Amino acid sequence: MAKPAVVLVGADKGGVGKTTVSRALLDYFVAHNITTRAFDTETPKGTLKRFHPNITDIVDITSTSDQMKIFDTLASAEAQITVIDIRAGMLAKTLESLRNIGFLDAAAKTQLTFTVFHVLGPSIASLDEIRDTAAFMEDAHYILVKNFINNTSFFEWDPATYNSYFKKIKDAHEITIPKLNEMACEQVELASVPYVSFVANKALDGQNAAFSFVLRGYVRHWLGNVWAEFDRIKLIDLVDVAQRKSSAKQAS
Amino acid sequence: MPRQTPLFIITSARPRVGKTLIARAMAEYFLALRKPVRAFDVNPGEFKLIDYLPGCTLAAGIDDVRDEMALLDRLIVADEAPKVIDLSHTLFEKFFGLLLHLNFLKEAHRRGIALMVLFVADADERSRRGYAMLVDRLPDVAVVPVLNEAVPPTVAYADNFPPTRHGGPAVVIPALSPVVRGAIEKRTFSFVDYAAKTKDGTTELWGWIRRTFVTFRDLEVRLLLGDMPKVPPLPKLPRAPTLPPAGDPRDSADRFNPSGRPSARRRLRWR
Repeated sequence: MAKPAVVLVGADKGGVGKTTVSRALLDYFVAHNITTRAFDTETPKGTLKRFHPNITDIVDITSTSDQMKIFDTLASAEAQITVIDIRAGMLAKTLESLRNIGFLDAAAKTQLTFTVFHVLGPSIASLDEIRDTAAFMEDAHYILVKNFINNTSFFEWDPATYNSYFKKIKDAHEITIPKLNEMACEQVELASVPYVSFVANKALDGQNAAFSFVLRGYVRHWLGNVWAEFDRIKLIDLVDVAQRKSSAKQAS
Repeated sequence: MPRQTPLFIITSARPRVGKTLIARAMAEYFLALRKPVRAFDVNPGEFKLIDYLPGCTLAAGIDDVRDEMALLDRLIVADEAPKVIDLSHTLFEKFFGLLLHLNFLKEAHRRGIALMVLFVADADERSRRGYAMLVDRLPDVAVVPVLNEAVPPTVAYADNFPPTRHGGPAVVIPALSPVVRGAIEKRTFSFVDYAAKTKDGTTELWGWIRRTFVTFRDLEVRLLLGDMPKVPPLPKLPRAPTLPPAGDPRDSADRFNPSGRPSARRRLRWR
């Protein structure tokens, strides 16, 4: 039987672009014909759900019943991948909970594939976050995300210090989310549609929209660069989708 | 079958080569055909086209996203109305870079917008490089070199601008005498009005308008036909015999051949 795949997107600081990364990931998986479900932990009003309402549920990651809703259904869910957008400040706590319920042990025993996207902020505090998070990452794919979408400058970081943290983590990857033009970013927010729908000039209900060609062009170019980063780290191989696809074929 | 929306971009890599005159004449050509032409004056800081044709021209730029939206969101509309852009040499590289960045060419193709770039040439090396860059970066676009006889000598630099697969060979815009140029530079002057009112079909200006409009008609047909047939290479002509230098001592038979046929020595050279 194919292994379930869980992708966690989080940070200990707010406003660093967790939901942006989650949205880009969902679009990426859809573009690869991979069925995906998502959980938005921004209770009670989720941001991710606004953009991907059909595949997203809002959950409280601290409640046991919602944890059951996510993790007890991993094997039975139709979706090949589960993406969880973790609320700001909850990454370390969530990882601790996952360890407590034996999820990390299951990942260690290769019963499931576990990938964490840790979105970094520009402050020096993010380096401490890496240290705290790394303790849980021995058996997961750990991906550090430098998000420049809001023209963030990681000026506080000394490269040598950053590398000393980065190199401590086994099999860690680093990706960069490039800057997106402010107006394009704002228009996608207002449109409340996935990036791919905005590029294709489609509203949430699938009807033709009237988005600016120029802004769609900027988003298309930006999304292409983000996906190139996912391709560079071989994300599809990391989440073991190839194996899952072949298993599904064999089963059918 | 839906009709195409023609989009002509008149540009150059150098100033003062006659872009605005060509853009203005082309806009008036479409007005003469009673087509709802829209012209765009993309010359920030020195708008000129809009002074001549204020009724159908929009001043535009690409300084920021709002400007880009104001221009490109209009250009991408497939409304069958011909569009003419007078693009400043200062924005030459930036503009085409932007088109590529935004995937404009693919979207235009999908919407049935037929794009043609008219590159007004001159003898400067920057023009040669600019044209080569354009052809290299836009291999699927009809790029046509324009040889403006008002920028002489066109024969000296015409070879720098070879024909392209989609655009075909260069077109020539005839020069006007300084007196006529002075007349057409008046803001109130209109080629169409002049051609409609004049009764003398032998004037220099009437001939210029006729020839230029026929050239534009040719460009429209090229756009309509799509791919241009590959221009065949010129046939190789036999090399002319080398003439002896003046005063070369020869016998009388070589200097004068009463039969009119080449001598044995000359036949050998022809082979």
